Amino acid sequence: MEKESRPSWDNPMQFVLACVSYAVGLGNVWRFPYLCQMHGGGGFMIPYLIMLFVEGIPLFYMELAIGQKMRLGSIGAWSAISPYLGGLGIASVVTSLYLCLYYNVINAWSFWYLFHSFQAVLPWSDCPVNSNRTAYLEECEVATPTQYFFFRETLNISSSIDENGGVHMGLALCLLLAWLIVYLFIVKGVKSTGKVVYFTATFPYVVLIIYLIRGVTLHGALNGVKYMFTPKMEQLANPQTWINAATQIFFSLGLGFGSLIAFASYNHHNNNFENQAITVSLINSGTSIFASIVTFSIYGFKATFNYESCLERMRLLLMNTFELAEDTVHIDNISFWITDLNRTQPEQIAAIASRIETCSLEAELDTAVEGTGLAFIVYSEAIKNMPAAQLWSVLYFFMLLLLGMGSMLGNVTAIITPLRDFKVLAHSLSNETLNGLVCLFCLLLGFGFTTRSGNYWFTMFNEYGATFSLLFIVLLEIVTVSYIYGLKRFEKDIEDMLGRRPNWYWKIMWVAVSPLLLISLFVFYILNYIQGGAPTYQAWDKDVGRSVVKEYPVYGQVFITLLLVSSVSCVPLTALYAFCTRHQRGQFQTSIVQLNML
Amino acid sequence: MWTVWTVWMVWMVCLVPTTSEALCTEDDGYKVRLSIKTALGGDAYEWNESEMFFFKATLAFAMRTYSGGEQYDVSNILVCDETLRVSFVFVVTKPSNTSELVPRTEVENAIKKSRHRINSAFLLTDQTLDFVGINPTLAAPIQYDTPPWLIAFGVVMGLVCAGIVALLVSTFLNKKRSKKSADEEEAGRGNGILCESIRGKDGLFNQGLVDDDRLTKL
Repeated sequence: MEKESRPSWDNPMQFVLACVSYAVGLGNVWRFPYLCQMHGGGGFMIPYLIMLFVEGIPLFYMELAIGQKMRLGSIGAWSAISPYLGGLGIASVVTSLYLCLYYNVINAWSFWYLFHSFQAVLPWSDCPVNSNRTAYLEECEVATPTQYFFFRETLNISSSIDENGGVHMGLALCLLLAWLIVYLFIVKGVKSTGKVVYFTATFPYVVLIIYLIRGVTLHGALNGVKYMFTPKMEQLANPQTWINAATQIFFSLGLGFGSLIAFASYNHHNNNFENQAITVSLINSGTSIFASIVTFSIYGFKATFNYESCLERMRLLLMNTFELAEDTVHIDNISFWITDLNRTQPEQIAAIASRIETCSLEAELDTAVEGTGLAFIVYSEAIKNMPAAQLWSVLYFFMLLLLGMGSMLGNVTAIITPLRDFKVLAHSLSNETLNGLVCLFCLLLGFGFTTRSGNYWFTMFNEYGATFSLLFIVLLEIVTVSYIYGLKRFEKDIEDMLGRRPNWYWKIMWVAVSPLLLISLFVFYILNYIQGGAPTYQAWDKDVGRSVVKEYPVYGQVFITLLLVSSVSCVPLTALYAFCTRHQRGQFQTSIVQLNML
Repeated sequence: MWTVWTVWMVWMVCLVPTTSEALCTEDDGYKVRLSIKTALGGDAYEWNESEMFFFKATLAFAMRTYSGGEQYDVSNILVCDETLRVSFVFVVTKPSNTSELVPRTEVENAIKKSRHRINSAFLLTDQTLDFVGINPTLAAPIQYDTPPWLIAFGVVMGLVCAGIVALLVSTFLNKKRSKKSADEEEAGRGNGILCESIRGKDGLFNQGLVDDDRLTKL
């Protein structure tokens, strides 16, 4: 006799697109190409695909099954499985909260760059001049214009995490806009999210295809693509390759945040999630590979451009020093000239020796970058050299925005769905108010990331806020489902929903392979953390124009520990709480029975 | 006397060229480098005597503009050390006294003032027509009344706010409408006791009673 039945997706396609929109995010664009480059190009596909089938798809399937069966958010779902494990859901919500806080800041940066693309000359293509117009600003001279624009004009970054500055007003406005858009997309819950995902899931592919065509037609793009796909098989012997493949699959699919459980809880009971799980996982990995082709063609273009600029500089140097006619020195015969001049006029060569650079295409291609550096510095540098740069810039940052927004939808839904399951909140606050309050809360805390030292806090959250807790959460999830809830019960639930039992492949994965893999990842992570010594971060040094490594101060390290412990400790604390209250309730019930018997 | 005059003439004839050569040094003047082929590629012109004459004329023009009309002429620009690179050194002599040089700073300021005209005369840029030691004045940044990013931001922000307001208002109106129709429905049921008032109590919800009501109605 419910007054209001649980809302649901209008059709299964919306659910699939929501999962795709959530899973396909910025990590596909900026982490996977980096890993590919680090671990032997084409050869990296082998551990990546193996991990996908052994770890990614089974865990994805499991989360969808839990959500669809329990028809509750993560807290409710895990409490229903076992009252002692409600903390697992709470840990997911806390981790999602941390993610929401810092992830939308990336969207704010994307907005900033997007709006700044509507100018005749892209602001990151040239250095600004100093007051008497004799030279460029010093910080921009030692760094590059794109780095200057990112670190100085976008972030206005301070030199260490200790120096807080004021809030960067432009960035704060962009963050406000980002949260307003998130609110607009989730204000009516699944009804509004379901319509939005048609666009956020599909349009990035349109842009990627456009960029693929533009990318491979750029001068020098094929150098990059060739470099990426040349497999270096010896990397397969390196255990770090396999660990990175496993963690990449794991984080890329967005397991453990509770978003998948939340999305699946709005499904109809008999929705065929098995095929959907396989589809979404394959789409996610396919997108990673597709995006890395695009990234590497852009890399190749940028590397070739830098290499040819280097050769041009050397040509000019030789012509000017030795008064050679212009058409005698070409970029092909520079090395010939240098050896010749070394023989005939060694003293003059020695005089300019400090300015002679060895130009190497390999060295340019070897500079592997990941993360925000790739997305905002390397890519914008490549874009500014393309013809019609403003158009490509707008397209690119719009795509980044869609990818980021799509993932944010999942993150915020992971927080809101469990909250709505608490009847107290659901009855006192309407859908719109609750969603608005969550967004407002995250916005206010997110302003901390727009201060001058905000980027350092962002990096801290990015590295420590979600990684360790997720491994712990998903490990506990798979152990719970396989052993505490019981594989037999789980199989029966799936048969109830799908009409058939999962075959032996899934069962082996859930019971044996995935838990073992997760335990080993967990152990490796801890070992790495302990062996790594004091945690460090990269601070921008404006005098040198580079990032330098600094150690976190004491309060920073305490905060890191707090981040790690706060989500993980929810599990034991809730279990303890459940044990105590049950114990009390148990005593109460036995006394009632005794009274009745009298 | 005639012999003295001849000797003096011969001496002058021999000395003048060397004097002008002695005047033309890089310390007193500026070195210029032209990268014509880099700038113009296929449309590059040949550097020859006429081009050099043109260059001297341009420099004389620059000196005239800077000095406010002093009669600088092509003969006041002395050029030496020409190379195949297309680079050479030039000095500027005063129109009043051809053995005296114009100070370097004046020459520098004159060139800075007319740099754009000199570049355009030769279809070159600040980078391809290089006066060694004279840094080009960099282009002033474009000043906008409103930064363009703020305009784009304003547009998007306006649209989003309008969207949110529209959604919230429509939800509110829908709720009011459904509440009104629900109230009308509730009023016409059975003995007038709303189910809501019964449900809240701790007692058991007796399904049977409600069902009977419906049957009775039939």
